[in-house]
Amino acid sequence: MRFADAVEFALTSLRKRRLRTFLTASGVMIGIGALVSMISFGKGMQKNVTAAFESSDLFNTVMVMPGGPGGPSEDPDERGAVAKEAARKDAVLDDAAVAEIAKIPGVRSAYPDISFPALVSLEGEEEFRLIQVVPAAVAGSKAVGVTWGRPYASDDEEGVIVSRILVRRLGTEDPAAAVGKTLRVTSVTFDLGRILSLGLDGFLGGKGLPVSQEAHDFPILGVIDTKPFGGGPSPMQNDVLIAPGPAGRIKRLPITSIWDLFRMRGGRLGYSAVSVKLGSLADLETVKTRVREMGFTTFALADQFEEITKAFYFMDMILAAVGMIAIVVAALGIVNTMVMSILERFREIGVMKAVGAGDGDIRRIFFFESGAIGLAGGVSGCVLGWATSLLINRIVNFYLARQGVPFIDYFAFPFWLFLGAVGFSLLVSLVSGIYPARRASRVDPVVALRHD
Amino acid sequence: MSADQSLIVETRSLSRTYRVGDVRVAALADVTLAVPEGRFVAVTGASGSGKSTLLNLLGGLDTPSAGTIEVGGALVSAMDREALARYRRFVAGMIFQSFNLVAARTALENVELPLIFAGVDKKERRRRAAELLDKVGLAHRAAHRPPELSGGEQQRVAVARALANGPRLLLADEPTGNLDSRTSREIVGLLAGLNRESRLTVIMVSHEEALVREYAQEIVRLKDGRIVAAEGEA
Repeated sequence: MRFADAVEFALTSLRKRRLRTFLTASGVMIGIGALVSMISFGKGMQKNVTAAFESSDLFNTVMVMPGGPGGPSEDPDERGAVAKEAARKDAVLDDAAVAEIAKIPGVRSAYPDISFPALVSLEGEEEFRLIQVVPAAVAGSKAVGVTWGRPYASDDEEGVIVSRILVRRLGTEDPAAAVGKTLRVTSVTFDLGRILSLGLDGFLGGKGLPVSQEAHDFPILGVIDTKPFGGGPSPMQNDVLIAPGPAGRIKRLPITSIWDLFRMRGGRLGYSAVSVKLGSLADLETVKTRVREMGFTTFALADQFEEITKAFYFMDMILAAVGMIAIVVAALGIVNTMVMSILERFREIGVMKAVGAGDGDIRRIFFFESGAIGLAGGVSGCVLGWATSLLINRIVNFYLARQGVPFIDYFAFPFWLFLGAVGFSLLVSLVSGIYPARRASRVDPVVALRHD
Repeated sequence: MSADQSLIVETRSLSRTYRVGDVRVAALADVTLAVPEGRFVAVTGASGSGKSTLLNLLGGLDTPSAGTIEVGGALVSAMDREALARYRRFVAGMIFQSFNLVAARTALENVELPLIFAGVDKKERRRRAAELLDKVGLAHRAAHRPPELSGGEQQRVAVARALANGPRLLLADEPTGNLDSRTSREIVGLLAGLNRESRLTVIMVSHEEALVREYAQEIVRLKDGRIVAAEGEA
């Protein structure tokens, strides 16, 4: 028996019992519809959260820190990697290391995370702040996101970007008004000369500290707004950003924390951290591995996100399980319909066998019949699930809009969801058809032909 | 005996026992039969004598409890289910008292059925089915469904269907049981014609003595599942 003939047999018999076919397929449709809308809701949630993270540009950033014991951010993954310990001991995060990291394939840019303490003042108001050195390429990116004014155009442009909070602390309420004003940055440095001139006695006697001060004036070019993920390992953790060029002209204490004093190796002091921007998240693992081989530790927010992703898988599973209940009911409906069909067509099965149908032919006819129910139910179920979620989305957004929440698509329909749902429906219907098809194929033609 | 090329059907000590509750009922017992190719054989007997059981066994619809069946040199009694299906499809065509046509399909489509299971493509089987309907004189009724046809016409469709894959054996189980005497004569005449013209072996179960005497070359009489007499030209 040819494939096309078996399909024709199945469709003919389904057409003959239109109402029952329709009802059985409706059961499948509802099950698949429930499953599709449940999963699309889960996928929608995941998409929305992921999009929120990705728009902050934090995913593409890897923080590189000197490795070794005592470091503030030792990666727990590295515990027990004793073999690399020796290499790591000497690894210094200096300009050479930064240049090497920048050459790793997949790295878009790598820049040292330099900050230094300084006194900043605006129109007489003073605050003590860490000034962070950020290249122009990063300052102009959405990772920083200048809201008022503009970022500095080149790494040599004289000017600073400040946070809205700092502007307010310094007495200017309107951040837009702060743009163009002058910020005075007063840095503090050790002055070995002063230690000598004071003499050890004087120094120990508290007559003065071996430090010197140096003041520089910079125009405020831009103001950044407060960000939701400001506390993360991002470039905007400090309130004052400055380009590398002017920063180099300021004498400063090259420390960000007390740890830096202990991190000095072989007389060389490296950077406390280096920000590495990736072109694509796909390169994350290879870049991390390469950097670790160089003897540094890494921290990437993307790693943390894997945990969130796991939570989403769990949510998807629960949603799918709810949908599965409907599918199981639909599958029982198919079995019921098919068994009924065998009883009704008992004699016909006998006739087909008498004229030469093999067990396989009969099996195939019934198998295709339940498959056709599953296919019809699956396709219409996708449409139902899609329509339902559109409706729910409308209603939810209508109510949330009153509370000022912008329009959000709470459902996502990736292409694979439709394909998968139809495929799954077909699979379920075929599995449901196994028993009826077997039973039909075992019909004894002598009994069937005697049957009235 | 299989050396004798002219024999098409050969049964030896053929028995079929049914279990009804705890009781064993022998529908057929120790039937040994030899039918030469091209013969028109009638099987007669009272109802319950085992006629239909014998025909179902010869047609490969049923399997014997004991004994052997050989058709055209192949041991039918030893065939598995799949081989039996092929045997029914290609070697033994059957017609029945109640015609057993598929009501939802036209006359032409009913004739096509065995061709479908033989995997013949649509165009070819349409052509062959139309040819067969023409042969049984029903070309003009090809598009009608069984309920629209008379009993005689339905049985003609059944004959055409039985011939679809060119069988060597035509088995007819009380083909005239539901027909009036005039139509009965036409149907048996049709079978006799096929037997004569294409040397098709016909085994027909019937208890219409007059028809049997007129057309059959050999009559096998059954009683309580056993052959009581075989008459006719040897």
